[in-house]
Amino acid sequence: MKHLRTIVILFVVLAAGLFAQQEVVLKISEGMPMIPLALPEFAVRPASAGAQAAAREIRDVLMDDVGYTRIFQLLPKEYYGYIRPLDPDRIFFKDWDSIQARLLVTGEVREENGRVVFDGKIYDVKSERFIVGKRYQAERNGLRLVAHKMADELLKLHGEKPIFTTKICFVSNRDGNDEIYMMDYDGANPTRITFNKIKDYMPAWSPDQRTIAFTSYRGTGAGLYLRNIYEGTETAVATKGTSYSAAFSPDGKKLAFSSSMAEEGNHDIFVMDLETKKTKRLTYNAAVETAPSWSPTGREIAFTTDRLGQGNPQIYIMDAEGSNVRKASFGGNYHDAPAWAPTGERIAFVSRVDNAFDIYVLNLRTNQISKITENNVRNESPSWSPDGRHLVFASNLSGSIQVYSVDYDGANLRKLTDRGENKLPNWTN
Amino acid sequence: MKRFLIYALAVVLVFSLAVSCKKKPKEVPPPPPQQQEQPVVEKVEAPVVREPRLTEEEMFLQKSLDQINSEKPLGSVYFDYDRSLIRDDARPVLDANAAWMKKFRTVKVLVEGHCDERGTEEYNLALGEKRAKAAQDYLLSLGVASDRIKIISYGKSQPVNPGHDEAAWQMNRRAQFLVIEK
Repeated sequence: MKHLRTIVILFVVLAAGLFAQQEVVLKISEGMPMIPLALPEFAVRPASAGAQAAAREIRDVLMDDVGYTRIFQLLPKEYYGYIRPLDPDRIFFKDWDSIQARLLVTGEVREENGRVVFDGKIYDVKSERFIVGKRYQAERNGLRLVAHKMADELLKLHGEKPIFTTKICFVSNRDGNDEIYMMDYDGANPTRITFNKIKDYMPAWSPDQRTIAFTSYRGTGAGLYLRNIYEGTETAVATKGTSYSAAFSPDGKKLAFSSSMAEEGNHDIFVMDLETKKTKRLTYNAAVETAPSWSPTGREIAFTTDRLGQGNPQIYIMDAEGSNVRKASFGGNYHDAPAWAPTGERIAFVSRVDNAFDIYVLNLRTNQISKITENNVRNESPSWSPDGRHLVFASNLSGSIQVYSVDYDGANLRKLTDRGENKLPNWTN
Repeated sequence: MKRFLIYALAVVLVFSLAVSCKKKPKEVPPPPPQQQEQPVVEKVEAPVVREPRLTEEEMFLQKSLDQINSEKPLGSVYFDYDRSLIRDDARPVLDANAAWMKKFRTVKVLVEGHCDERGTEEYNLALGEKRAKAAQDYLLSLGVASDRIKIISYGKSQPVNPGHDEAAWQMNRRAQFLVIEK
């Protein structure tokens, strides 16, 4: 209870800070109780069938989003029966306090010229204060996005990076050959990004999620390309040899990748400055170096190397200039696909034991490893959500390879795809 | 007298013969059919330039790349789990591949490195490339020019055998050859 009060106080302080247009980042450590949030049914004024349906859809999606956060906890449905129904014009905060709501989210929906208008408001129950109000206008096919935007407001209030309006890109063969697609965080709205008969592979988002870096098998090579998906423009990054495993730096100015451009057949880590287009080689080694992943500060890069022996890939960390190389993984002989969490102290990776691949998270602060998946299949290619609370990965848990999401502690496993085979998901860099 | 008799007999004989012949009805041969004079058919043919017999190389050059590759002139080689070392059983295959490439001197090939599903996506791409490189190095050591062999890796994305046992995995841990220029 004392904890709870501390959070609420922190929250209020934070909310006040946000009002002052300051960026406050608050990190909640593991094991903190979640914040109870009330999301009563939306008012529909003036009432119309279209507005009713829209209100239901927005609220359903918003409830899913809130339930996904691991920060907020939806109040049990039956609690609403203990108090007076919500009157949006006159809120009795004491009522909501009595059923232990800390945040109250209200919504009002109406139709206007064939479009849906949604008014969302967030209140702090204890201080009986209005915190944030948003008005969104959308076509009927944009209602999910309206809910996601409102959910992101909740995350922003909490000092988090928004995740619900972000996209996961991945590789799918659902239309024939391997092509790149993107989808919402919950698997909705799958959209194709590359259209050709050649193999497009290993996409990676730029931090603004407008550009993907990806490997494309063109002619007899596997080059690395940048595609601005909203402008439809494309530029080549590396076409000599083969290049894979691109990762944008957190500021979006650099692109790390593995390439055999310098030594045929041997992959090393390279970094291209996207402004000057100059490429710098970071590793010089006859062993394999691949799968670079930036630290959230952009000052370090985790990567995979088999310099200890072929078939024995391990995860190392180096400074972003290539110096100060040290081993980070331990306790196994096959580690790969490091993904440095945007929250800093965690690196997710894949470890192979016998013929099972599982996702693990290494806590760099405590040097402890926790196992996230445990199902004796192949779980691969982890990638973090922007807030570092969730992971997407590919798994053949259901037989064919599909994209799943799971929370940082292994809870809340969800399957996000089901058409064709879907793999190599990337949420942030 | 005797001589006279012989003469007389001969005369009678001749006479009787002549009479008997005369008495026989004369067989008239059917008139020859009215034959039209047929023109002599003259075969008109442009003279054909006779080509010398095609050499093997010329026959090869007439084929399309798809045809050549469908005949699988270059054998695949297989690797141990997690390894890119050329095994002893791969050497005769690579020797034959090198001999074939020396025979058809204009050919260029792409060596594709592949892996089985028991490696990660990322590491497998690099391992597949090491396998392709090992096959390339072997051919180079036999004197095939380096600009004739390109390499690429598909990691584990293109298995030839979709199974999940050692027999399938062994088939998938391979370097295979594609003729890309002739």
